[in-house]
Amino acid sequence: MSNDALVLLALWLLPLASAILIFAFGPMLRRTAGVIGSGAVLVPFALTWVLAASALGTGGLRVHLFDWIAGFSFGLWLDPLSLLWTLIITGVGGLIHVYAIGYMWSDRAIARFFAYMNFFVFAMLTLVLSDNFVGLLVGWGLVGLASYFLIGFWFFKSSAVAAAMKAFVINVVGDAGLMFAVFVLFAATGSIAYADVFAKAATLAPATVLLACIAIFIGCAAKSAQIPLHTWLADAMEGPTPVSALIHAATMVTAGVYLVARCAPLWDVSPEARALVGTIGALTALVGAILGIAQWDIKRILAYSTMSQIGYMIMGVGVGAYQAGILHFFTHAFFKAQLFLAAGVVIHALHDEQDVRKMGGLGKKMPLAFWAMTIGTLAIIGFPPFSGFYSKDAVIYGALERGYPLLSLIGVVTAGITAYYMCRMLFVTFLGNYRGNVPDVDLGIPAREHGEPHAGESAPAWVMGAPVALLMVPSVVAGWVVIGGRWNALFDSDFAPKPESALATVLPEWLAGVVVLAFVVWGVAAAYRRYGSFDATASAVERLRAESQHMAQPLVRAFYFDDVLEALFVRPARAVGSAFMRVVDPQVIDGVVRDLVWLAGWLGREVRALQTGLVRGYALVLALGAAAFLAYFALIGAAR
Amino acid sequence: MNAPMDVDVSYYVVLSTVIFFIGVGGVILRRNPLIMLMAIELMFNAANLALIAFARVWMNDAGQIFAFLVITVAASEAAIGLAIVVVVFRRAKNVDVDEVAGLRG
Repeated sequence: MSNDALVLLALWLLPLASAILIFAFGPMLRRTAGVIGSGAVLVPFALTWVLAASALGTGGLRVHLFDWIAGFSFGLWLDPLSLLWTLIITGVGGLIHVYAIGYMWSDRAIARFFAYMNFFVFAMLTLVLSDNFVGLLVGWGLVGLASYFLIGFWFFKSSAVAAAMKAFVINVVGDAGLMFAVFVLFAATGSIAYADVFAKAATLAPATVLLACIAIFIGCAAKSAQIPLHTWLADAMEGPTPVSALIHAATMVTAGVYLVARCAPLWDVSPEARALVGTIGALTALVGAILGIAQWDIKRILAYSTMSQIGYMIMGVGVGAYQAGILHFFTHAFFKAQLFLAAGVVIHALHDEQDVRKMGGLGKKMPLAFWAMTIGTLAIIGFPPFSGFYSKDAVIYGALERGYPLLSLIGVVTAGITAYYMCRMLFVTFLGNYRGNVPDVDLGIPAREHGEPHAGESAPAWVMGAPVALLMVPSVVAGWVVIGGRWNALFDSDFAPKPESALATVLPEWLAGVVVLAFVVWGVAAAYRRYGSFDATASAVERLRAESQHMAQPLVRAFYFDDVLEALFVRPARAVGSAFMRVVDPQVIDGVVRDLVWLAGWLGREVRALQTGLVRGYALVLALGAAAFLAYFALIGAAR
Repeated sequence: MNAPMDVDVSYYVVLSTVIFFIGVGGVILRRNPLIMLMAIELMFNAANLALIAFARVWMNDAGQIFAFLVITVAASEAAIGLAIVVVVFRRAKNVDVDEVAGLRG
């Protein structure tokens, strides 16, 4: 193996080794586990840079590990696409690990937390580095498992356990879809390696490709919270905030974007699949943004915004604007991680209060969180020159360029709504006066359980502050990579060049950008009038109570997705289960056992009369039996 | 082993059969376990007689070898059988097999 190959192997396995180590020696390590865990992610980050040159070279860096079965080789593949994901996973992931040392400082199970986090990083690296569909599937399943562990990390909260289960079940639906796709592709091409499958993509029957694409997308939809499999994401906020930042914002939920981009050759030959994925992405962006308006929990607002932003990414890669979708992933990873970490600082300082109605006026008390949140918000709403501006425009214009003007329009409208609900969160949290001492009833908050506030000493402030501060830089500048066209050229080996388009000549990119910006400004202005202005902040308590009480029902119930899924799947499944419990189990399964018992008893009662205990009687029967045998053989002999 | 048969084999078979049925009769009719064991010995040896006679007729050693096996088995059977009789006598103070009917269903 070459040196590069060994480095790649090391960076892939280091988080796993650390996870095992921490899990084995957790009680002894305690907070040291955080340092080891962070190191096991930051060192791979450095190692990834070492490999950047060979990854960007022709064909990327390939490492053959072993032959799974003869002819099915299993290996790692670092190309520009997986390089980008690896950098984000280890880079942003490493910062979040450091932050988590502070966030989990007084948690008794801090070692278990870092074991899970490192395990997640390993699983995610497996997902993006695999050079074949089976390795992808393994990583795909493992990240779902890690997500389950971490959402349910505080397993003494029944809501966390329920959320973890919901996330896992929905993710398994996606896993099944993806597995079916692998079967279809293997049946059609006879190989599981990306290279072989994609080489034959153009020769496959269109129906086969469409089927494979739809099955793949079921996997993507479940993992990336796309309609109608998105309902787990908001509930997943039950996990600790660093988990929300790492798994449910920056990395795992973008696995669907990675997969669509990775399978670009399949999408390129199936326009129907493209339209489907683009449409689902756009609708998810819109629905997520609308639902974001109605949330009061700071993390749920961010969760819906994540769903909405991933909708953008999926729309981008779906319509074929791969570079744009990936760019949005790249910038989103920074600003969304930053938003979550800043929210975590607020939540931590307020002793696990997450309801924005109980906040307010925090700008002066927590300047770092305020500025981080402000920069993150400016980035996510796409305000120039912050990073989101470049990537969101690229997606919206990319959809237009490739002949999907309607999706592009949805993207523009969503940008306006995004500006509104993000600024709503920002203004309600940080402007005006602190409302923490106002009783819940006055703010229109329904009766709720109060969790035990964090006890014990706190970490030094810089442990949580430094990652937040560091993330501000890329949140601002990450979008600038696109300037000069170097970004698009990076992925030339992965994606086909974009087609010429008539629409693009009618509407130049700068004009599209201005239109989007107009919507964004409108959104910010509306939010300011309602939540940020002097009048609004002065009468905040009354306004918030009125809004809570008169919130439209469809928004409160999240457009009834949960209710529909409940009626379609959960209730029938429960009915089948209880039918089995009431009829099949007692009557059929237990019934057979009971009947067998009765049969044995009856047989014993009948046969026992033969046991006389008279030895000579037995001998007589024996002799008669022997005589009968003898007679039988004598007769046979005579007949012959 | 080429010696001519002085006596016709049918006599041996008839004798063997007679001895065997004396043994069967002894097991079925007598109530003393020791006599029953002796009757069983009779049956074994009736079988041995037939085996050896036929071995002689067919000029095949297998019959003789098998007779040795039967003798061995008979010896072990007698040992175990007598041991059982002794144990039963100790428990029941009685050796009438009709009275020892603890396994009656």
